[in-house]
Parts: sequence; structure tokens; C-alpha cells
Amino acid sequence: MPFQYYPLDSPVHRLDPRVKIIAVLLVSILLLKASLPSLAAATVGFVFISWASRTPLTAVLKSLKPVLPFFICLFILYLFFTPGSPLPYLSFGPVQVTQEGLTMAITQVGKFLLLVAAASLFTMTTSPIEITTGLERLLRPLKVFGLSSHDLAMMISLAFRFIPQFVIELNSIRQAQQARGADLNESGIAGKIRLMAGLASTLASNMFRRSDQLIDAMEARGYHPGPRTYLNNLCFRRSDYGVLAALTVIAVAVWL
Amino acid sequence: MIEIKNLTYIYDTQQSPALENINLSIQPGEYVAIIGPNGGGKTTLIRQLNALLTPTQGEVWIDGLSTGNVKNHKEIRRLVGMIFQNPDNQIVGMTVEEDVAFGPGNLGLSPAEIQRRVDSALAAVGLSELGKRAPHALSGGQKQRLALAGLLAMDPKIIVLDEPTAALDTSGQTEVFRQIEKLHQQGLTIIFITQDMEEAARADRVLVLHQGRLVADDHPAQVLTRVEWLLSLGLAPPRLVQLMCRLRESGFDIGTDVFDVERACQQISTLVTGQRQMLTDRKPREV
Ligand SMILES: Nc1ncnc2c1ncn2[C@@H]1O[C@H](COP(=O)(O)OP(=O)(O)OP(=O)(O)O)[C@@H](O)[C@H]1O
Ligand SMILES: [Mg+2]
Repeated sequence: MPFQYYPLDSPVHRLDPRVKIIAVLLVSILLLKASLPSLAAATVGFVFISWASRTPLTAVLKSLKPVLPFFICLFILYLFFTPGSPLPYLSFGPVQVTQEGLTMAITQVGKFLLLVAAASLFTMTTSPIEITTGLERLLRPLKVFGLSSHDLAMMISLAFRFIPQFVIELNSIRQAQQARGADLNESGIAGKIRLMAGLASTLASNMFRRSDQLIDAMEARGYHPGPRTYLNNLCFRRSDYGVLAALTVIAVAVWL
Repeated sequence: MIEIKNLTYIYDTQQSPALENINLSIQPGEYVAIIGPNGGGKTTLIRQLNALLTPTQGEVWIDGLSTGNVKNHKEIRRLVGMIFQNPDNQIVGMTVEEDVAFGPGNLGLSPAEIQRRVDSALAAVGLSELGKRAPHALSGGQKQRLALAGLLAMDPKIIVLDEPTAALDTSGQTEVFRQIEKLHQQGLTIIFITQDMEEAARADRVLVLHQGRLVADDHPAQVLTRVEWLLSLGLAPPRLVQLMCRLRESGFDIGTDVFDVERACQQISTLVTGQRQMLTDRKPREV
């Protein structure tokens, strides 16, 4: 499954989740304004980090698959609809590929692909628990606005916790539909919609029932909104400070 | 120590009370089964014990703390751990360890203390090896043991279980009961609801709830042998008890408080050898 955590031991896995969250956010912001050469540099950097994380590069590439159609459309739009000087050989009457269009298409689509890849590498090297603990710590300042980072983290971790349940449930409902003679390959949009509506409503009602029971179970174990403590405490190590320093240098360099 | 005084609970004023004037006290270390037909009020009763529900009338006291006072709820929920029927819907954590750490985290303990409690709770239920696993990848029996570990990490005195084995297969059922009995031997008070009369027979005390009223409260040998009465409440008496009662009705001198195959075998074989003895004793005299 794309975006799934790979429990390995690597320098990237060992980094503090807060550092990784900051890195992903910072890189996303910097990328937005990146030119083609800096995008190329970032891609090289990404491939290096991905190699250092010992996760299979193919898994990262797989995570790009679902968004690919969208990016292909985007690529074509940029390619044909950016004004500029037309390229010879690549223009057919009114449809013109321009020099600027080609550069734009590659940089813009490249940026987004790199962003998705970075997010996927992040979730592949950071366990859901680390993500929630990291987010909880980073979001603590939100207390100023009356938002509890503990409650937000709890919500996020429950969402993570329910994903596998959701998939299992989805499959069993599909099987039940099949068993009752529904044709899952039903042709025609109306049929497909009918099928999906049935699936969604059953899934939703099951999930509501589950969450009712989960709330009871949480309350029975003394859950209360607001501050609580965690099994895993986070602390920065030397490598974390190193990465933070490197990020700062890159950020400053790009800024100037 | 649980003390229930004149407890009445009403969900909906249009309906008859779910619990009506219950009086009950349970001493530390007791092993209690609650049985009764569907809608009898079993779940409603045990939800009063950890203050998920509070009395409409009357009082529930847990170790000197009244559930009517919201300030006591935190401590009551630490003292009284609860296991639900569906193993999936009580898992909060993304890993086994993390799930066990949820309760101690709510108590605000330090990470080091949480780790210590998680380790000892997982060891107590025999899941130490699986600490890093995702809970949804466990078997049903393992999930219920995980739920027990989650309670043990809060150091409770009382554990209440709402049909803990109803969603499990036979091996899961034995697995969970072995664990529950181990905890009982360690001095914890155990209260469980069950539809299974063989399970109820394992307890030291059986409560029967019918239409919100406590209609029996006695040793299993006294309660589960009242075949006609149980049938009239819509409960199926244990099969072995039914067998023994039939034999007794047919004139055999046999005890009816028999809940396991071992004892039944013993009783029947003494009966049979006795009969055979009588026959062989009789023959020579006839000659
Ligand atoms: N949330 C609720 N709202 C309204 N009425 C309820 C609610 N929960 C239970 N009841 C009613 O209270 C009565 C007792 O229900 P309870 O769930 O305690 O029975 P039970 O003995 O646990 O039954 P079962 O064997 O089916 O689990 C029933 O008549 C039921 O319809
Ligand atoms: Mg019930």
C-alpha cells in the first residue's frame, strides 16, 4: 500500500518526527517558487534521502500512481497554453508548443510530483504514533487560540487507527453486496451510483455505531479532553540538530 | 467493595425502568456472573459500576465513592475497568503497546512509569512479544487479552466484562476465561455478563436480572439447577443440569448441580456400576 509505514532502521527513520514534519513543510514552501535548476537539485537531494532511508524507491513511485492522470492533464495544459515563442517541429497549426510552455510544464508538474513523493517518503519512514506525537508537540502553541493540541492529536491518531478497520469493513460490505447478487461491474452510470450509494450508507452507519462504542470504551478508560501523557517522549538528538541547521542554511540560501 | 442501594434507572420515561430497586453488595475478590434474558438490564447494571451511567434513583458506591458525584468519576474509572463485547471497538492505539498506554496516559503518568506498566500488563496477559503489532492484526482472543492489559495498566481493583466472549470462537473463549480466572486468583473482583450458562457456572455467585429486577442472587449450584424456573424466564439451563434432572426424574439417585463433563461422567459411572453391582449381587441368590 502506498504511504504505508516501513518499519526499518535507518538514519531517516531515526530522525525526530518534528524535524521531519518541519522539513516536509519547509521544502513544500521553498518548492513553490523553485526554478527548473533548483527543482533538479531538490530531486537529486530527494533521491539521496530516499536511498538513505532504505525504503524501496519503487514504493515511492507507486504512491504517485493515483495522482498521475491529474498531473498528465496539468502537463498538457501547461504545454499548450503557455504563451511564448513556438518551438519548431512541435507546433501543428493553431496548437503550439512553446519554449516557455515546455519549461513551465516540467517545473510545475515536477514540483507537485516531488511534493507527493516527499509526503509519501515521510509517512513511509515515520510511524503514525510518531506523526501524532510530533504534531501534538508542534501544535502546542495553538493553546493561545484555545485549541488543545492533545485533542487534535487524539483525533488524528483515531483516524489512523480506523483506516485499516475502514478497509476491512469496505471489503466485507462489498462481499455482502456480491453475495446478495449485486453485480459489481454493473454497467451504466446509474447502476454504479446506486451501488456506491449503498456502500457508502452502510459504511457510514457501521462507522457511527463503532464510534459510539469507541467513545464508551475511551471514557471507561478515563479519557478526558485536554492534557495527557504519552508512552513515547520525543527528544532531539545530535543528528536532529544537524538536519535543522542544514534546513536553515538551505532556507536562507533560497531566500537570498 | 461495591454497594448498590435502591438503584432505579430509567432511560426513557415512556418505558418501564431498565433497572428497578436493585440492592446488592459485592465484596473484594468475588467472582460474579450476571445472567438474564435479552433486555433484562444486565448491561445497564454494569454500566452503573464505572459511572458510564448514573442512577436515576438510589446510589452506587465504589470503595466509598458515590457514582452520583462527577468529581469521583476519574477515580472510579481507575478502580473499575470495563471490557466490552466487541473486541474491535475498544481499541484506541495504533500499536498494542500504544493501546495499553492509553489508560495510564489519561492518568497523567510519566513516560517511564507508563512504559513500566505497559510491560508488566502485557506480560500478565502473555502478549509481551506482540507489543509493536497493529491491534487489528490480532485474533479475537488476543484482542480481548489486549483490552484486559489496557485495564491492568491502570491498576484496577474491579473488572467488569460485558459478554467478553460472545464474539469469539471456542479457543478464544477458553483463552479469555483462563486469563480472567488468573486475575481472579490474584485477588481482583471479577463481574461478568454472559449468555452461556456453562460460563456462569464457573463463577462463585450468579445474579439473575429479569425485566430490570434482581430475581436471584446465589451460588451457581442453587441458581442454575432450577431448570423449570430458568426456562420460564426464557433462559436455557446448562445441558448437563438438564440431563441430570431428567435422570433424577426417572428415579435415579443423582445430584443435579453438575456443570462439567468430568463430574457428570463420575456420577453416571458410579450410578451404572452401582446398578451392575446390584444385578450381580442378586443373581446368585436367585439360583
Ligand atoms: N440507550 C438506550 N436508550 C433507551 N433504552 C435503552 C437503551 N439501552 C437499553 N435500553 C433498554 O433498557 C432495557 C435493558 O437493556 P440492557 O441493554 O441493559 O439489557 P441486557 O440485559 O444487557 O440485554 P442483552 O442481553 O440484549 O445485552 C431494555 O429494555 C432496552 O431496550
Ligand atoms: Mg447487554
